[in-house]
Amino acid sequence: FRLNIDGLLVCFPYDYIYPEQYSYMLELKRTLDAKGHGVLEMPSGTGKTISLLSLIVAYQKAYPLEVTKLIYCSRTVPEIEKVVEELKKLMDYYTKQTEAKNDFLALALSSRKNLCIHPEVSSLRFGKEVDGKCHSLTASYIRAQHHCNPSQPVCQFYEEFDAVGRQVLIPPGIYNLNDLKDFGRRKGWCPYFLARSSILHANIVVYSYNYLLDPKIADLVSKELAKKSVVVFDEAHNIDNVCIDSMSVNITRRTLDRCQTNVETLQNTISRIKETDAAKLQEEYRRLVEGLTEANVARETDMYLSNPVLPDEILQEAVPGSIRTAEHFVGFMKRFLEYLKARLRIHHVVQESTPQFLKDIYEKVCIDRKPLRFCAERLRSLLRTLEIADIADFSAITLISHFATLVSTYNKGFTIIIEPFEDRTPTIANPVLHFSCMDPSIAIKPVFGRFQSVIITSGTLSPLDIYPRILDFRPVTVASFTMTLARTCLCPLIVGRGNDQVAMTSKFETREDFAVIRNYGNLLLEMSAIVPDGIVAFFTSYIYMENIVASWYEQGILENIQRNKLIFIETQDAAETSMALMLNKNKISCKRLFISFSFQPPVHHYGRAVIVFGVPYVYTQSRILKARLEYLRDQFQIRENDFLTFDAMRHAAQCVGRAIRGKTDYGLMIFADKRYARADKRGKLPRWIQEHLTDGSLNLTIDETVQLGKHFLRQMAQPFRQEDQLGLSLLTLEQLQSEDMLQKIAQIAQA
Amino acid sequence: MDEEPERAKRWEGGYERTWEVLKEDESGSLKATVEDILFQAKRKRVFEGHGQVRLGMMRHLFVIIDSSRSMEDQDLKPNRLTSTLKLMEFFVEEYFDQNPISQIGIITTKNKRAEKLTDLAGNPKKHLAALKKVVDSTCVGEPSLYNSLNCVALPSGTEIKEILVIFSSLTTCDPANIYELIKTLNALKIRVSVIGLSAEVRVCTILTRETGGSYNVILDESHFKELLMLHVKPPPASSSSECSLIRMGFPQHVIASMSDQDAKPSFSMSHLDSTGEPGLTLGGYYCPQCRAKYTELPVECKVCGLTLVSAPHLARSFHHLFPLEAFQETPLEEYEGERFCEACQGELKDKSVFTCLACKKVFCVECDLFIHDTLHCCPGCMQTDRTS
Repeated sequence: FRLNIDGLLVCFPYDYIYPEQYSYMLELKRTLDAKGHGVLEMPSGTGKTISLLSLIVAYQKAYPLEVTKLIYCSRTVPEIEKVVEELKKLMDYYTKQTEAKNDFLALALSSRKNLCIHPEVSSLRFGKEVDGKCHSLTASYIRAQHHCNPSQPVCQFYEEFDAVGRQVLIPPGIYNLNDLKDFGRRKGWCPYFLARSSILHANIVVYSYNYLLDPKIADLVSKELAKKSVVVFDEAHNIDNVCIDSMSVNITRRTLDRCQTNVETLQNTISRIKETDAAKLQEEYRRLVEGLTEANVARETDMYLSNPVLPDEILQEAVPGSIRTAEHFVGFMKRFLEYLKARLRIHHVVQESTPQFLKDIYEKVCIDRKPLRFCAERLRSLLRTLEIADIADFSAITLISHFATLVSTYNKGFTIIIEPFEDRTPTIANPVLHFSCMDPSIAIKPVFGRFQSVIITSGTLSPLDIYPRILDFRPVTVASFTMTLARTCLCPLIVGRGNDQVAMTSKFETREDFAVIRNYGNLLLEMSAIVPDGIVAFFTSYIYMENIVASWYEQGILENIQRNKLIFIETQDAAETSMALMLNKNKISCKRLFISFSFQPPVHHYGRAVIVFGVPYVYTQSRILKARLEYLRDQFQIRENDFLTFDAMRHAAQCVGRAIRGKTDYGLMIFADKRYARADKRGKLPRWIQEHLTDGSLNLTIDETVQLGKHFLRQMAQPFRQEDQLGLSLLTLEQLQSEDMLQKIAQIAQA
Repeated sequence: MDEEPERAKRWEGGYERTWEVLKEDESGSLKATVEDILFQAKRKRVFEGHGQVRLGMMRHLFVIIDSSRSMEDQDLKPNRLTSTLKLMEFFVEEYFDQNPISQIGIITTKNKRAEKLTDLAGNPKKHLAALKKVVDSTCVGEPSLYNSLNCVALPSGTEIKEILVIFSSLTTCDPANIYELIKTLNALKIRVSVIGLSAEVRVCTILTRETGGSYNVILDESHFKELLMLHVKPPPASSSSECSLIRMGFPQHVIASMSDQDAKPSFSMSHLDSTGEPGLTLGGYYCPQCRAKYTELPVECKVCGLTLVSAPHLARSFHHLFPLEAFQETPLEEYEGERFCEACQGELKDKSVFTCLACKKVFCVECDLFIHDTLHCCPGCMQTDRTS
C-alpha cells in the first residue's frame, strides 16, 4: 500500500507494515533530506531491507535530481541476491500500481567468478584463477595480437560485448546475478563487463563492500559513480574491520619469494622488449615525465572517487627520475625486496612506526621516501607497457608495491610489526611482516567525502556512538529501533553459576578450571534435553572450543549430549563447513536435532537456542590488536577496555541475534558467563535485546535456566496467528494512520 | 481439577518459581499476553463448532503414545507417562461417549520401535485395560515417529483417517526419510495431529501442516486435558470426501436364558483374531445380514462387512450435528442485571458474561464452556420449557 512518510509518498509492497519499519523510514527520510550520513540499528528480521529500498526508491522517483543512484553494499553473495529479490517485489508492485512501464535499472554486481559465462573460464574453482584467466583473454594487447594472429584465443563474449554492447544500454529492469548471466548468454555478451559498464547509469547497484572500500577494486569499479548517490552499508557491524583489512598488508617469506620471481620475469621481459621494441619503453618514459596530470585533472573536476592508495602529492608531481626507466625501476624493486628480506631475517619481534621504517630503509639501502610513494603507480604503468597477460601471477609484486606506497604516504594510522614466528608455535620460524592499518577511517574517508548520504545499518550496532567515532564522520541521524512484539519471542538469560554455585566464566585465569568446564558441559547437556531442534553453541575461540570439547569427551559429557542431539562441529574453513552442512542437511532438517559448535556467526539458521560460552574477547595478546588499541586511545580517546568490551559484545550480539529470524520466530539466548551480568557488558547489547533482559534473568544457575527455558518454550509453542499480531506489531494502513499509533511509533526510535 | 495426583514431597519436585504466577501483570508482559491468546482460542473453539460444517461421524482414530525415556520427566505429576495414561483413559471414555460409532486404536513407541497396544476397535473396555497395563512399563530409549506412523499407514490403508500423536521426546529415531512418509500420509488423506509435551519440534510442525492436523504444546496438566478434549469432537469432514450413504445393521440383542435347554453357548466372531480369552456366551447380537454373533457393539461384521450399531449409539452423536448455539458475549461492565451465573450461582467476575439467545439467561465463562462442551443443551431453556 501507499504510505505518506513526512510528505513523501512511498509504495510498500506488503499489506502490513511493522511500526518500527515506519519509524525507520521516517529517520531515513530525514537523513536523505539533510544530505547527511546516518547510523541506524534495527533488529534482524524486521524488514530492514525492504524499508530501505522502498523509501530510497520512492525518494529517487520523487526527487530524481537530488538522488540519482542507490549503492547498496552487502556482505555476501546470498545477501546480495536477497536484496535483489526484495527489490523485484517492490518493482512488481510499482508496475502494478502505476501501470507505467518500469524505467528503473537495478543490478547486482559480483566477481567474475560468479558472473562468468565463458565455458572454460567459469569452470575454474577459485576467484583468483578466474580473474587471471579472464584477464589473459580480454586484456587490450591480447586482443590487439588477436587481430594480427587469429590463433591467439580471446573471449568471444567480451569481443561481442565490446563490439555491440558498449553502446547499447541494458534495458531497464531488475537483474540479479543469474538474470545478468541469462541476459549475457542470450546476447552473447560478457555479463561481468556488461554489469560493470552498466552500473554507471543504473539507478540501483547492489554489490559487496569491497567494491567501495578496497582501494584496489574501488579504483577499477566504483570511481566514476555519481556524487549524488546514497550509499547503504547493510550488516555493517563489522565495517571497521573490513576497512582495516582492505588497507593492511601482510608479507610472508613466500610473498617475497614469489615477488623475486616476478622481478626476474620483469627483467627478462624488459631486456627482450628492449631488443625488439625499444620505442615502446621510450614512449612510456615520455609519459612518465609528463606525470600523472590526467588523473589530477580528473580529481580536480571531482569526477572520481578518490583513492587512498593514490595520494594527492603523487598527482602533482612527475614520477621521480630514479625509477623512470624500466631497468632502474626493476633495480629499485630488487633493492627494496632485499631490504624486506633482510628485515624478515630476525629472531625477535619488532614493532615500529612508518617514519622509523622509512628512516631505516634510507640508512640501510638508500631508498628515498619519494620513489617509494610512486611505486604502485610505476608498477602499473610498467605492467601495462610490458603487456603481461596474466596479472594474477604478479599479485606478489603488486602487493609489495602497494605496501611501498602506503608506507611512504601515511605517517599516522599504520604500524609495522615483524614477527619471527607465530605465538602458538614458537619453534617454527615463519616470519611475517604485518603492515597493519589501525585507523578504519582512512579507507572509508573517500566514501564519506564523496557521496552525499551514507547509511550504516545493521541489526546490532550498539553502542551507536562508537561507530561515528572510529570511522571519523559526523552523522545527522543516529537511531536504534526496538522490535514491537505481540508476544515476547526472545528470552535472553544470563547464566552465571553452575548448580554447585561455582561461577561460570571464561575469564583467562579460570577458563581451564575443571569445575568451569564441567558446568559448561552440564549447561549444554541440560539444555539439549529441553530445547527442540537445534542449539547453536558459540565459544570464544577455536582453541578454547577444542580444549573444552576434548575435556567434555573425557568426562563423558559429550556422549550424554549425543543421546539428545547430533553434534556438528564447525571448522575454521567456512567453505568446508557449509559443504558439510549441505551434505548433512537432509539428516539435520529431517531430525532437526543437533548442536553446532562454532566460533563465527553461523552460516545457517537451525537454532532454537543460542548459547554463548564466555565473553568473546579477541585475543588480547596479539600485537596488532595492542597497537590498534593504543592508537584508538591516543587518537579517538576510546579506552582500551571500552573498545574490547564493545568488540566482544558486538560479536556476542551477532551470535545471539541469529536466534530470531522474524517476529513469528522465537528463540532462547543464553549468555553463559557471569560477566555478562555487569552493567558495562549488558549496556552494550542492542536495545532490543536489553529490553527483555530483566533483573530476574541475571546470574542464574543451570537449574533456573532450564526451568525458565522450559516455560518459555512451552509458552511460545502455543498457536500464534497473524490476527494476534495485528494492531500491535503489525499494522494495516488504517491502523497506521491512527493518532495514538503514531505517538507510539515516535517512541520506537531512540538516539 | 479434583483428581490432581498426589504430589510428591515438595523438595522432590522441580524448581518452580511460584511467586511469578502471583505477579500482577499490568505491564502486559509475557504471561498476560499468552494467556489472553489462550482465552481467545478457548472461546473460538466454541464458536467454530457452530458453523455449518459437515462432521465426520464415523471416526477411525489411532493414538500414538510416546513412551520413551523423556516420559519419565517429572514436570507432570507424578511423571509424564502416568499422567498421560490417566488422561488417556479419560479421553477414551469421553471419545466413545461422544463418538459412539467410532473406533480407536493405540500404539506406543519406545526404544526405536513401535508397538501396537490395541488394534482398531470400538470397545472402550479393551483399550482401558490395555492402558492400565502400560503404566508399569518402563520408559526407555528414543521414540520412532516413522515406525509408529508406518505401523498405522501401511496395513490398514484407507480406513484410518486420523492419527493423534502424544509426543514427549524432542528426538525421533527414523529408519528412513520421514518426509516421504508424510507425503504418503497426505496422499492417503490421513490427518495427523500432535500434542507435544515439551516443546515445539520442527518435524511435527511440518507433519501436522502437511496433513492438515493441529499441533499443540501443553502448558500444564489442565491444559493438556483441554487439548486432549479438543480431539474428542469429530473434525470437520474434508470437502473432498464424498458424502456417502452407509449401510448399517441394527442387530437385536438376543438373550437366551440359562433355563432354555435349546440354547447353546457360542463364540463371538470378534474373538476370532483377538488374543484375549475366548469366552463362550449364550446371548449376543446377531448380524441381520449373515447371522454372525457379536457380544459387543459397535463393530464391523467380520463376515459381511456390515457396520453394526445400536440405535441409542447413533442418537448420542446427534448433538454434534445440531449443536447448541453460541451464547452472546458481552463485557461485564456493560451487563446490567444480577451478577450471578444462572448455572453455578457463582458471582460473575470474569471480563465478560454470556447470554443465551433463546432464554436470555446469563452464564459465566466456565459454565458457558461446560454447557457447550458437555451438556449440549442450555439449562435455562430446559427450565423454561418445563414450566411453560
